Amino acid sequence: MSAPPNLPPPDQLLQRAEEILKELEKGPWPSHVAELRKTQYPLRVYGVGLAARKSPWGPGAVKVAYINTGVLARWARDWVPGGGVEVHFRVFHTPGKFWKTDFIKKITKISRELGVGLIEVVGQTGAFVLNLTPDKAEEMVDALRSIGTDVGGSGDAIRALNACVGPALCEFALFDTLKWYAEFHKDKRVNDNIATPNYPYKFKIKISGCPLDCARANRADIGFIGVWEGAPEVDQARFRELVERGVVDPVKLAANCPSGAIRWDAERRELVIDGSKCKKSMHCIRAAYPAIKPGKNRKVAVVIGGGVKGRYGPKLGWFIGYLRPDQVKEAIDLTFKVIAPWEAEAQPKYRLGDYILVTGLDKFIEKAGIKLEGMPESIAKTPDDVPYAVLPKEERDMYLKLVEELKGKVGV
Amino acid sequence: MTAAAPSKAERLQKVFPVDLEKFLPEAILRNYGKWVDRKFHGYGIIEHVSATGERIFTVKVALPPNARLSADTLDKFADIADKLGIGALRVTMAGNIEFLTDSLEKALKIKEEVEKLGFPVGGWGGALWGINSCTAYLTCTTAVVDSPSITKALGDALKPYFTGEIPLPAKLRVFVSGCPAMCAGGTAIDIAIVGQWGAPPKIREEVLPMCLPPPKALAKLPESQIFLVQVCPTGALSLRREGDKVKLVLIGEKCINCARCKENCDAFDYDPENVGVSILVGGKMSNTGTGPRLGRVLIPWLPANPPRYEEIVAVVKHIVETWRQHAQPGERLADFIERVGWTKFLDLLGFGKVRDYYQRVPEFARTFLTYRSRGDVYPRLRDGI
Repeated sequence: MSAPPNLPPPDQLLQRAEEILKELEKGPWPSHVAELRKTQYPLRVYGVGLAARKSPWGPGAVKVAYINTGVLARWARDWVPGGGVEVHFRVFHTPGKFWKTDFIKKITKISRELGVGLIEVVGQTGAFVLNLTPDKAEEMVDALRSIGTDVGGSGDAIRALNACVGPALCEFALFDTLKWYAEFHKDKRVNDNIATPNYPYKFKIKISGCPLDCARANRADIGFIGVWEGAPEVDQARFRELVERGVVDPVKLAANCPSGAIRWDAERRELVIDGSKCKKSMHCIRAAYPAIKPGKNRKVAVVIGGGVKGRYGPKLGWFIGYLRPDQVKEAIDLTFKVIAPWEAEAQPKYRLGDYILVTGLDKFIEKAGIKLEGMPESIAKTPDDVPYAVLPKEERDMYLKLVEELKGKVGV
Repeated sequence: MTAAAPSKAERLQKVFPVDLEKFLPEAILRNYGKWVDRKFHGYGIIEHVSATGERIFTVKVALPPNARLSADTLDKFADIADKLGIGALRVTMAGNIEFLTDSLEKALKIKEEVEKLGFPVGGWGGALWGINSCTAYLTCTTAVVDSPSITKALGDALKPYFTGEIPLPAKLRVFVSGCPAMCAGGTAIDIAIVGQWGAPPKIREEVLPMCLPPPKALAKLPESQIFLVQVCPTGALSLRREGDKVKLVLIGEKCINCARCKENCDAFDYDPENVGVSILVGGKMSNTGTGPRLGRVLIPWLPANPPRYEEIVAVVKHIVETWRQHAQPGERLADFIERVGWTKFLDLLGFGKVRDYYQRVPEFARTFLTYRSRGDVYPRLRDGI
């Protein structure tokens, strides 16, 4: 980016930068500037950006042998007095993002000795970020590999996977998200496509243990979300105890169910939940756990095509069917079935969701050869605000048949 | 003979930190999958109860914007975790850190210690759970506004909602992104703040050739094969041929400011005078209440004035207060808006006039919007399961 108009001379610019930085150190919320001051990060460049109201960084390049993703380099723009360099690695996080203290000490040691002493403990991909000095890049890769993690996940590749904490610390986990997370990484195809960018655009895989979706699987290119079939399980005796202790108001609980599936039978003092209505909002489960638990028949809902950055803007994924909690191998195969037509046909910089919008979900599923339990039948092929379409005879007959049946039902 | 040094090509086989035995603390491994209950002990502290009878307490601590920590501070955290915890902590997607410990006394001591270091404890239940920020001016080449400093200004103003001094009806999360790429997590969140150019980009002619094929090839290639033309979703970028000269031009009226050209080529530039943020409300990812949804634009443009961003802070505070005073207990912002209706929500905010403006979409954005609306014919998670 070029210098903004009316940029003050360098000494005034630097002075203004320092004023802004000082201001950002005040206040009750933790300050990033205060943290950056304790490191060798070129804070002056950041300050100049703020004073100029323009990003001070331009694209740079640092080559690290056989590391094709996860290295990002920036050089300060020519209007930043004194220039500057910023290089960082995206590093894979541990399962559930648990950091034992000995691991933290290893990371901080590497960061001090080979980097600038600055760590972004979590990025939005779910990886963490280590700033480094460019001449130590090779060494840092080896150091990170020796403590059991690695660099990767940027560009048009599979990005760092993300799974919620799951059974490690959460009672709501409906399947073993961290086991899935591990199994995905053990697959050769996943490894290769994380290591080398080969796709039209980025591809994200996220795994959430329950419909609360802490891993944000709804906006992944392919997301796996734990659900159950039918109604939640109610332990009536335990629930009555909660009611007697005044912990739960059953009438309120029923009234607040977003699906309207709950009824409190005051006479028999029983909670009745209609499984066919249940939309798995977790409302009652969160209010009265463990008296109300998710149903026993657990499943993993698959959503595809979500994403924030893409040709047609932010999207939530589309539901395409269920897997079982033990079908992690099938999930990996499914991921690559989904990738195949997109990789082969999509234009550059189309996310999977963008490609599906152009192709149509039905057509896409056909091309990818996906068959899953509970696949929804498509509601309509074209948006339903246009009252004209070319319809084959079978389709017209289908509507006729539909209404013929209806005639019998309503007695016309 | 000595063994050959390991080849660097081995780096193509990544080392993934997926071994649970190695990376999970022992107390977690002992109780893996055995958790049965949780109890709240004030804002930020939760007790996890296992079927084995063991308990783990977590203490949620807010981090600086963009989750940036110096090695020194992280070491201090590790020391606290060793002294008072079970020798481990957990990083959350919300950009917080959770200390793990085994008793409430220790949890309260951890709270005291980190607060002494200047990090507030809070979140969980009806509270602000944290503010996510992208990196923006700290490292990003395409950022339009600086989200970490906006986050800092917001954090200073919203801290009482995080620590529980002012209780909220339900969970509140804020995402602050520096440009329309929305790397802080998109718009599916209670309040999303997204930086934008405000006006169509300017092309820096001297840099543009780097993003185009060589002039000879450019003269022969059809327009549809040019990468930058492909990248634009509304056809605002097109080739103009005059004699034997070929030029890439931007048709300002067709531009919707999606910033995709900027993401793919450094030649697109903006004037800081036009720059601002748009504020979106009522999105969320979780299937609670009315289900996952994207946020909706409340204010399409506000100036972003460092370092205190008074305009943005004022609007966000106003939204939170309006929601706090009118929502039912347990009702997230998205569910509240769904219940009272968008128009009523605008009236409650006193933004009635906004209705007249926010829907104005350029005629040429139709291609973009048509493709977007195609997606609505397929069921998403809420309708699918």
